[in-house]
Amino acid sequence: MAVIAGALAIPHISYISILPELIAMGAPMVMLLWSATTRSGGPGRWTAFTVVASVAAFLASVEIWVKVGTHPYTAVAGAILVDRFSAFLSGIFAVAMGLFALLAHDWAVREDESGPELPALGMLSASGAMLMAAAGDLVVVFLGLEIMSIALYVMAAMNRRRLASGEAALKYFVLGAFSSAIFLYGIALTYGATGTTNIARIASYLASNVVVSNGVLLAGMAMLIVGLGFKVAAVPFHTWSPDVYQGSPSPVTAFMSAVAKAAGFAALVRVLMEAMGTLRLDWQPAIYVLAVLSLVVGGILTVVQRDVKRMLAYSSISHAGFVLAALQSASAAGRSALAYYVAAYTLMIIGSFAVAGHVGGPGDRSQDLSSYRGLSSRHPAVGFAFTILLLGQAGAPFTTGFLAKFYVVSAAVGNGSYTLAVVAMLSAVVTAFFYLRIVLGLYGSEEPSTPEGPPGVLEPQPALVGSVGEPQASHGAEERGSVVVPEVLVAASATQVIEVSEVGAGTSVVLALCAAATVVLGVWPSPLLDLAKAATIIF
Amino acid sequence: MEQYLGVFVLIVLGALFAALSFTASRLLGPSKPTVAKRAPYECGIVPNLEPVQRFPVRFYLVAMIFIIFDIEVVFLYPWAVIYSQLRLFGLAEMVVFAAAVVVAFAYLVSNGALDWGPRKRIQPTVSYERTAETTLRRLPPGGRAA
Repeated sequence: MAVIAGALAIPHISYISILPELIAMGAPMVMLLWSATTRSGGPGRWTAFTVVASVAAFLASVEIWVKVGTHPYTAVAGAILVDRFSAFLSGIFAVAMGLFALLAHDWAVREDESGPELPALGMLSASGAMLMAAAGDLVVVFLGLEIMSIALYVMAAMNRRRLASGEAALKYFVLGAFSSAIFLYGIALTYGATGTTNIARIASYLASNVVVSNGVLLAGMAMLIVGLGFKVAAVPFHTWSPDVYQGSPSPVTAFMSAVAKAAGFAALVRVLMEAMGTLRLDWQPAIYVLAVLSLVVGGILTVVQRDVKRMLAYSSISHAGFVLAALQSASAAGRSALAYYVAAYTLMIIGSFAVAGHVGGPGDRSQDLSSYRGLSSRHPAVGFAFTILLLGQAGAPFTTGFLAKFYVVSAAVGNGSYTLAVVAMLSAVVTAFFYLRIVLGLYGSEEPSTPEGPPGVLEPQPALVGSVGEPQASHGAEERGSVVVPEVLVAASATQVIEVSEVGAGTSVVLALCAAATVVLGVWPSPLLDLAKAATIIF
Repeated sequence: MEQYLGVFVLIVLGALFAALSFTASRLLGPSKPTVAKRAPYECGIVPNLEPVQRFPVRFYLVAMIFIIFDIEVVFLYPWAVIYSQLRLFGLAEMVVFAAAVVVAFAYLVSNGALDWGPRKRIQPTVSYERTAETTLRRLPPGGRAA
């Protein structure tokens, strides 16, 4: 084999253009090295470090946003697209990363984990998501998808003492690997049809050539949609999501539902709107069907759940339907509605799962609706914040959720998809029932009957005393009738009585931020709305 | 689509060949089964012990060490072939990549991937607070523990 003579064309790499990704990839490396060299200390240092890295990545995104302005450019030999859309999403992912670190801190304290693995994997996953949003090449989309997903598979299994966590990870892994393979096949077919994997070159090829027998191209496009449809959990590719959301530790669920979906939608925008914008009439019906199915199935199945994490999973499927409805319109209004929805949804869903993580208690066990009863009397602030977040998800006025749904519906109407708009509004009404049911429970009275039974059940039994207690020195017969309670049982019943567990510091901060953002940006919508419009103006 | 005709023909031929082979061996071959022939493996020693079902879970760390160095080598080979053309850029990129691998390795070692010996006992087996009072059990006059 002859080696090609001469120097290779070495691409110019503008490191400032990929700074958010570099921060999100470099910080976990530093953290792992740190954990390998020092043994002392709890999870607090990892949390602090991750939050600092998130702030740095966010500032880097802002820097790119300001610098790129309305002149997008490509970096790293066309592999990275630097525009306001990628900067906008990098910022969202950086925020999600920081919020996740705060939630993971409380989780680590409660579950007695002190390793750096969870925040490190979260940052790696976020870096993959940033790469997907900034990808200028289908292969880079795939690379980002895998970086994001592989970290998420491990994060889902993080609760080693809980069987459901491992089950969630395995399901997510098998189906995720399957969808990645389909996506990769789609890339191959698209390459076969257009002769390139570069998004800009696919677009220019399709704009300047009329593909006569385009079966291969359409098959490739369908497979790309299926692969990304799995990631955003659109019906009928949603079957993994309730189980995975339920089984994963709650902070991981929050992160997964926010970041993986947003990254999937970003990739869909890149693939469908940018690369295959000229094939709009071919992919619009497919996205239309996916949107209607997600809205209907997600909305209806939400209502019949009793496990709150499953409910939120189905409601996030219905949210995916809304975002797909925005994507389907393939217009400027649809794009900005999509960006706005993703930003609003990220904050609302992370806040909601933060509450689920708090209520779930050790091992995320109590997620039944009854566990949420009377939350507001135990923790008025948490109950209030959860109410705001749920109303926001329901689309109540003066929240970002209302505006997000409004822009999606108006984009669909502007496109002439009246049926889709009606379905979206009906689905919003149906899911509102579920949110209001939780809210009523929050302010309702506490139900005394928990599955474990009231604390009074823990009457010490003689058999237990014999096995747990040491041979009692019951000298003589002074205590013949009464049973001596071993200290272990006393301690156990004491903790059973104190049901009101402290709200962790990280959870409090996350809840305050998310709820405040949902209301403030809903009442005063112009900042985020202008950002979302500016993010999607160039395509 | 014409260029895919060859692929299609090959798929059909492959399926036909497999189907024909199975049918032919079913039809033409004499069927005289014995116990030895029906055994899952027709050669080797008949196992008279159940295979060991469990092995120490810490071997997954060994597998991870293998994988990280495996991946590094996979990238090092093509890199070495065109190293002279990549020049300083290639060297810098590979140093960054190797650093990432070393971090992963350091993390694994710090988690005990190379500690293969029996785990050191941190707590003494015998408590130092043990005295005759705590060790010997006093029985009540009846001779039986309560």
